[in-house]
Amino acid sequence: MAVDNISFKIHEGEIVGLLGPNGAGKTTTIQMLLGTTSKTSGEIKYFDKDFDKNRSEIMQEVNYASAYIRLPWRMTVWENLMVYAKMYGVKKPRERIKLVLEIFRMSKYTNKGFNTLSSGQITRVMLAKAMINFPRLLLLDEPTASLDPEVADKVRKFLLKQQEKYNVSMLFTSHNMAEVTEVCDRVIFLRKGKIVAEDTPKGLARRIKTCVVKYKVNGQETAVKIKEEEIASFLNDLAKREIKYEEISIDKPTLEDFFLSQL
Amino acid sequence: MNQGRINAVIWRHLYNFRHSLDRLADSFYWPAVDILLWGLTSIYIQKSGANVSQIVLMILSGLVLWMVVWRSQYEITINLLEELWSSNLVNLFSTPLKVSEWIAAVVILGLIKMLMTISFATALVWLLYKIDVLFALGWLLLPFMVLLLMFGWVTGFLVAGLIIRFGMRIQALAWMAIYVLSPFSAVFYPLSTLPVWAQKVAVWVPTSYIFEGMRSVLFGGQMDQANLMKSAGLTLIYLLLSVMFFLTMFKQSKKTGLARLE
Repeated sequence: MAVDNISFKIHEGEIVGLLGPNGAGKTTTIQMLLGTTSKTSGEIKYFDKDFDKNRSEIMQEVNYASAYIRLPWRMTVWENLMVYAKMYGVKKPRERIKLVLEIFRMSKYTNKGFNTLSSGQITRVMLAKAMINFPRLLLLDEPTASLDPEVADKVRKFLLKQQEKYNVSMLFTSHNMAEVTEVCDRVIFLRKGKIVAEDTPKGLARRIKTCVVKYKVNGQETAVKIKEEEIASFLNDLAKREIKYEEISIDKPTLEDFFLSQL
Repeated sequence: MNQGRINAVIWRHLYNFRHSLDRLADSFYWPAVDILLWGLTSIYIQKSGANVSQIVLMILSGLVLWMVVWRSQYEITINLLEELWSSNLVNLFSTPLKVSEWIAAVVILGLIKMLMTISFATALVWLLYKIDVLFALGWLLLPFMVLLLMFGWVTGFLVAGLIIRFGMRIQALAWMAIYVLSPFSAVFYPLSTLPVWAQKVAVWVPTSYIFEGMRSVLFGGQMDQANLMKSAGLTLIYLLLSVMFFLTMFKQSKKTGLARLE
């Protein structure tokens, strides 16, 4: 079973990260929320409406982007976006397409064939498609997976702007822990199809009680794993033993440490 | 020349051959269909004693009408495959689009493209051979076209149902499936040319009545109205069942997820 008895809510304007190792059920969860994978039991509700009974109406206000999904490659960027604008019944589709292409800096590729785009450009077109219907909820499956750091950063900033400006909610999967920490208000951690933890990124990181103290003596680096509350006495001990370090750093636990602890 | 590298290329295609329905079809299926279809047609021509102009008219009319069946089934299956080839299926069905709307769209599209193809083909036949296929069949052309079109949808939905369930590994069915029925449809020869067991099968193939009727009209006779009704009845039942089959397969496929097909 890919997903087993999970239950969660996404509040309006909230960005929720769905984390977990490969095969944890992140993509299956998103596919179930899209209705492209059927659930065996339970219920999905969007905007207080039952998904099974009101799928078409609900999907009018939801959109989706994934690094692993494409658009018809023979068609141009414009043609592809026009098809989806019509699919969502967007009013003034030409203006909307121009706007989303400008946002993602893809205007000059408007008439280019989808098959001529680089993977970064493809991701940006997929995100433009995801914004075509002014969604209230965006389901994003590793949206920045194939982007270079600069474009990925722009995409993150764009998503945060959408949240701030239009109160768009998002469910976000990523393997980039720094990204999840930056973007997500809350993180749901899945393992073997079950939710094993749910908290803010910082809250999850704080569940790891050990810090790493690194110090360099005579050019040789030593790293010690130590509980946060014991750091002061450890440093005191170094001083007592007259150990003169050239450099010292304290690495507080991160979301990545939490992720690794769960494997 | 390095024998090892030559062997590697040969093995690459032999391994692929085992796993590819398309390659197996190229090697065995199409030769078998051609031999069967044209062998039976040749036997009929030899025995019939019909004059050459009648035979030419019959073959070209059969060809044009068969295009109606082929084009309408092809449009449904290829449109589905296009979505799979371009990894667009999940995108499509994550919009407000309903399956019934997709079905309506491909059926309308099939109708438009079929009309384009038939217009082109009949014009070409007239230009090249001075034979007016449409005129030769008179008013019966309309029910013939409608029933053939609908039967094309029947095979289209059956194949599309299998593709949506089992994915691109059986995509060759989009080209192959309809031709399984062509010998039983008796496109280029009368049903009596078929072996007895095949005639029994042909009774359940609605297109066989149409092509029998076509020959009857072309050779100066009349279409048996009861046969036209039988063909219409069978086609409607099959169409209903094929759409139900497609919807069931679509539902089944969603249990494991449409994303796995891409």
